[in-house]
Amino acid sequence: MTYVIGPGCIDVLDRSCVDVCPVDCIYVGERKSYINASACIDCGACEVECPVSAIVVDRRARGDETLNAHLEDSRAFFLEVLPGRDRPLGDPGGALPTGEIGVDTPLVAAHPKRNGGLP
Amino acid sequence: MSTPTPVSADVLVVGAGPAGLYGAYCAGFRGLSTVVVDALPQAGGQVTALYPEKEIRDVAALPAVRGRDFVAALVEQASAFGATRLMGRRAVRLEHRDGEPVVTLDDGTVVNARAVVLTSGIGTPTPRPLECGQEWLGTGLSYFVTDPRAHTGRDVVVVGGGDSALDWADTLGPIARSVTLVHRGAVFRGHAATLDRVRAGRARVHTETRVTALEGDLTAGRLAKVRLRARSGEETVVAADHVIAALGFVSDLGPLRDWGLTLRGHTVAVDRSMRTNLPRVYAAGDLAGYEGKVRLMSVGFGEAATAVNHVAVDLDPGLSLFPGHSTDGP
Repeated sequence: MTYVIGPGCIDVLDRSCVDVCPVDCIYVGERKSYINASACIDCGACEVECPVSAIVVDRRARGDETLNAHLEDSRAFFLEVLPGRDRPLGDPGGALPTGEIGVDTPLVAAHPKRNGGLP
Repeated sequence: MSTPTPVSADVLVVGAGPAGLYGAYCAGFRGLSTVVVDALPQAGGQVTALYPEKEIRDVAALPAVRGRDFVAALVEQASAFGATRLMGRRAVRLEHRDGEPVVTLDDGTVVNARAVVLTSGIGTPTPRPLECGQEWLGTGLSYFVTDPRAHTGRDVVVVGGGDSALDWADTLGPIARSVTLVHRGAVFRGHAATLDRVRAGRARVHTETRVTALEGDLTAGRLAKVRLRARSGEETVVAADHVIAALGFVSDLGPLRDWGLTLRGHTVAVDRSMRTNLPRVYAAGDLAGYEGKVRLMSVGFGEAATAVNHVAVDLDPGLSLFPGHSTDGP
């Protein structure tokens, strides 16, 4: 089980979730953050922290076409080779020591730009 | 510095979360002397750290119980047979001497155990670092307040948005010369009543603000000021003798990664008796991994009982695996 960050995060990238994750499993891309499902302990600390309510538990995401696409996309972020990199991220063992990744999956990169970030 | 007195026990339980506390009860029931260690000062593991005020509804016979009350009951049960708790100390080394485990804690205490049960869940918590000023750690920067009186008459900056940050801002309010509370987010996560007290007190509160620099005489270890930048771009400089960064904890497997245990992702591989690959070393609860694992407390309790009863037979092969019924006791 895991939580997933939906499209609400794109161009907001508040990072409050990153600050509260007790296992440091939320990685920051260029326009969105991604949860590493293989490390997520399903505690839900991030869900309540998100200022735009972009985070949901996977059980709920599966019932929604867009959120489900982002659930799959979060897996892709770690398992597939991101643009400009030569191997998949895999399970890097912690977002803090790894640093911000700075690139997004093709799905997120193709998302229309949103201006202004937080309302 | 003097070396702490070594401790001996039949069973050493590493991790005072639900699985470890219940394991300590099970060990006591079998007449095994038991020591429980935990890196944090409070028992309860993830329940205490992540959801002390939430209601737990998936433990058998407890339709709804508040996290805090649940932990108190587990501690009471674990203490029934006089288990020794060594809190605020982390297990850093595991060796074997004459086939029996020897665990060293970070304060130098050596625990000679006849068996070890690892119930350290998601692992060792370490404070989340402040994004700047690491070079001040130990002089102008700390992650804990060990003695609030040490801050008497000083300018203190507390960073964070959770309960610890609020508690320390609240506690230091009347003692320090000034208290500045800095939080990166807009909303505090901590207890509303504590926040009200902090806001009503003398503390200056900066939300949506980050600490960008710690400045002073580093060689002399004298911090002088802290630079802040708000989301709006506005910069503030505040006088500071000390910064307390209460940014929560990040947990990972920590030292046990180097103990020669067979790992399975973020868990330690166990067999059906909860044995790890190392002699007399068991694992239970969230830390224990195997095919088909369901990560729930109710499962962890069962695993702790399985581990401890196998320990009992390991230590005295004449015993039966079944511990007997608790209803038969005095």
